[in-house]
Amino acid sequence: MAAVVGSPRVRRMESALIYAALTVLVLAFLFPVIWVLGLSLKTRAQVFASPPLYLWWPTFQNYADVLTRSDFVRAFINTLIVSTSAVALSLGVGAPAAYAFARFPFKGRSILFFALLVMRMLPPIAVLVPMYLLFNKVGLATTRLSVVLAYTTFSLPLVVWIMRGYFEGLPVELEESAWIDGASRFGAFLYAILPLARPGLVAASILCLQLAWNDFLFSAVLTNNATQTLPVMMAAFNAGDSGMDWGGLTASGMLVTLPVILFSFAAQRHLVAGLSSGAVKG
Amino acid sequence: MAGFNRRQLLQGSAAGLLAASTRKAWSQAKPDKLVLVCENSRAWKRTLLEEVAPAFEKIHGIKIEFTMLPVDAWRARLKAELSAGSTGIDLAMLSVQMSGWMSAHVLDHNEVVRKIMARDPAFAWDDFLNGGKVAGTYDGKLVGIPYRLTAQILHYQKALLQQAGFAQAPRTYAEFEKAALAVNSPPTRYGFGLMGKQGAGTFTNVVPWIFSAGGRLLDFKTGEIFIDDDKAAAGLQFYADLAQKDKVVPPEAMTWEFDEIIAGAQKDKYAMSVTFSSYGTLFNDPKLSTTGGRWAWSTMPGHPSKEQNRSLIDGQFMAISKYSRYPDWAMEFVRMACSKQAMVRSMEGGNAPPRGSSLRDPQMVAKLGWPSAAAEAIETGIPISQDPAWDGLEIALRTGVSETLLGQKTAKQALQGVASEWRRNLRRAGILKS
Amino acid sequence: MKTASLECYFDRYFVHATVLPTFLMMLCVFGLPLLFSFYLSFTGWGLEQPLFAGRFVGLANYDDVLTNAVFTKAIYITLGYTAATVAAQMLLGLGIALLLNIDLPGMRVFRTALIVPMMMTPIVGALCWKLLLDPSHGVLNQWIGEKIVWLGRPDTAIYAIWVVGVWQNTAYVTLILLAGLRSLPSEPLEAAAIDGANRLQAFLFVTLPMLRPYLLVALLLRTIFEFRAFDNIYAMTGGGPANSTMMLSMYTYLVTFVQFDFSIGAAAAWLMLLMSMILCVLFILVIRRREAL
Repeated sequence: MAAVVGSPRVRRMESALIYAALTVLVLAFLFPVIWVLGLSLKTRAQVFASPPLYLWWPTFQNYADVLTRSDFVRAFINTLIVSTSAVALSLGVGAPAAYAFARFPFKGRSILFFALLVMRMLPPIAVLVPMYLLFNKVGLATTRLSVVLAYTTFSLPLVVWIMRGYFEGLPVELEESAWIDGASRFGAFLYAILPLARPGLVAASILCLQLAWNDFLFSAVLTNNATQTLPVMMAAFNAGDSGMDWGGLTASGMLVTLPVILFSFAAQRHLVAGLSSGAVKG
Repeated sequence: MAGFNRRQLLQGSAAGLLAASTRKAWSQAKPDKLVLVCENSRAWKRTLLEEVAPAFEKIHGIKIEFTMLPVDAWRARLKAELSAGSTGIDLAMLSVQMSGWMSAHVLDHNEVVRKIMARDPAFAWDDFLNGGKVAGTYDGKLVGIPYRLTAQILHYQKALLQQAGFAQAPRTYAEFEKAALAVNSPPTRYGFGLMGKQGAGTFTNVVPWIFSAGGRLLDFKTGEIFIDDDKAAAGLQFYADLAQKDKVVPPEAMTWEFDEIIAGAQKDKYAMSVTFSSYGTLFNDPKLSTTGGRWAWSTMPGHPSKEQNRSLIDGQFMAISKYSRYPDWAMEFVRMACSKQAMVRSMEGGNAPPRGSSLRDPQMVAKLGWPSAAAEAIETGIPISQDPAWDGLEIALRTGVSETLLGQKTAKQALQGVASEWRRNLRRAGILKS
Repeated sequence: MKTASLECYFDRYFVHATVLPTFLMMLCVFGLPLLFSFYLSFTGWGLEQPLFAGRFVGLANYDDVLTNAVFTKAIYITLGYTAATVAAQMLLGLGIALLLNIDLPGMRVFRTALIVPMMMTPIVGALCWKLLLDPSHGVLNQWIGEKIVWLGRPDTAIYAIWVVGVWQNTAYVTLILLAGLRSLPSEPLEAAAIDGANRLQAFLFVTLPMLRPYLLVALLLRTIFEFRAFDNIYAMTGGGPANSTMMLSMYTYLVTFVQFDFSIGAAAAWLMLLMSMILCVLFILVIRRREAL
């Protein structure tokens, strides 16, 4: 937690500088996003205008076209189900494991931890087809569960790695005082540690969500029309040998990104919660 | 608009079906859906998606579920699922390049054709162009009913060439170079448009120029490689020189693939191109293109004379999976989708059907213009290779072409590199022994 | 005093109970395919054959891959790209995290805004950049005034990919470091202030060392991901022009999904894993050693 310190005049100047720097950064980073938004409001002719158009009458036809497509709505729901399941599963399984790695020096700890990381290093392309064959054998081939499991295995090492760092950073006194109060290890974990690790949890959940929400390759191979997620459905706009549907692609791109942005915005509060919640003082 | 509308199509098919069904009752149970896996470009499948499938559903109560995937995912899905013998796929669209490895997983479509013709002689198998049948035959087995057959033809803006003194389309490479230089007016409009991006479009765009100069690729049976001989090198060098030496190609064409070459024509970025016959519809449509109405077509030039010209034939076939539980119903859908009426209708939707009656339909020719050039090109054209080993070889060729286009190497040097890479691949595939 | 015996049992096997599910899941869903892929890299196998019918070829696949000029060129390109991208992401990410850490009104908006590029579907973002970089319809060339075909020239294409990579994933680093900054105890900083350290000294000697574990996590994760970068190259250049952006993952993809040669694809993928592992071990050794000092 940092506050701007100093005399009121210095503080105002500094704040102004900080706002200015942030505004420049935001403009630089968000310009392409705003451009995509603009493209979604243009007709095909306007998209390919040369020189590029900055001012035009927006058209909402692209959004109307996308939203009335039944496969879009279905893909949206699928993506929602798959992503939230993957995130919940990853956090639920990974956070306790990360805690164990952080606090308890058990035999083989370093090796197991490193193994997790190494598994993450293999390009997913290598396991795609073997994974498909495996799911096919157990009858999960075109279900949503297959993608949920696939995404969870991608996110788990991530969650364990990130959360271990945060758990290590928390002082041991927290658990000790909880134990003194009679809590079990698991109870201490749940009620004392987890609330304070909120920034880490939120960061990890955003990263897991982003991974599951935007994955294309695995969903394309492991799902079918009924269970496909948004990125696969959106690939239909990249129409191959007859002209890309820019309006459809960008409109659906914006619609797809919106929920995750809203989630990130809502999760801000927990992301920036600090240690000063007075758990251990004095 | 052609005189056929949906009602007539329905009536036509219903009549045909009623006539046939009096003869034979279905021995199969009726599924509630048939799964069709295809590539995800909607445009030329519009008729299938919006007319034929709904009509089929209305008549039979069977829904056609289209699983549309981007190229690589489509191929991967078919390969993975069919190799596992899955019954989850009933119908598949496959390209010529895939016919090699797909042939083990589909029915023998010569049989399918026999059955269809027995039910419905109006299907007219003879009406299908021979080029399509040949392209779809692997090791003597017909792997699917041709649905789309494209040839690479010359598209040119007639008025521009006439102004520059060319009453007809150029017939030889030398003439072509002169014409391109004459109509070249950078930076607004260039003489020649090509797909310069190193990717899936590279091969289709360059190989007609290699073929028409007398060059060939290789012989899969003997493992003999022809790509690095002088004729092929001359063809590639000419193609690359248009960009490097004559500078008649828009610089951004180095990033162009399918979508961009269409957009380029529609935005009047170039005057001539050798590309897919069916693109002619998109180039010439005044609703989509600022150059609508200005295009004309012909078969591409040859080197050293017109007779050398050879186009590349590519296409897609509709195939019934060997593992489908409802092959008779699948066959019924194929019959409807590939009927004369449906195929003529599909031309409106941007397709290039492999039927003589469609390509020579006077209304269509008058309206679209390119079908006659396409039919001519298909007569002498060379189909894309069907051998499963070709996929790897194509990747190596993409690199060589890109290097030549950028002027990093001469065509001969680049193709020699390609040939040695091909030898490695062929040795690995067991085609070359040493 | 402990009461329920279930609680006792759970506590004693706490480690097992928490770590086992993770590994069970990883092994079953990921581990089996991983082992199969490893096995594949030593055989010649086609998808039509039954699962274990491949011919054992020893190291022939690896040899094939390593003697392929395209692969070796791809190694250099990938290493260079990874170094440049990760460096930029770490520096920018740290700077932005420090700015976002400050408590000023309206920060919530800035924090969300700067994460958006990462949230956007990579394909959409890459395609949009492709349009932005277009010589005729793109705004970038309009501003510069010159008509540069960014993605069409071997000397500029890789820089374009670099820009998009930094744009997309700096937020990843920002997120990890911001959460890390937020978790730091305030006492050391207060102590430093009392000791008379100015802000720069406090940052360098107090904050940065405390941030080290998070920096390491971010560095390792970004290195692993950028080494495997695929989406942008696939959408923007396909490996060209003339293989100037052919990164290892693009090569592996082409071999596995276009050529359908799973054995060579597996060998290439495992070589990639080996290289990533070496890189990460190097990083860990360097940073851990400094920590011990």
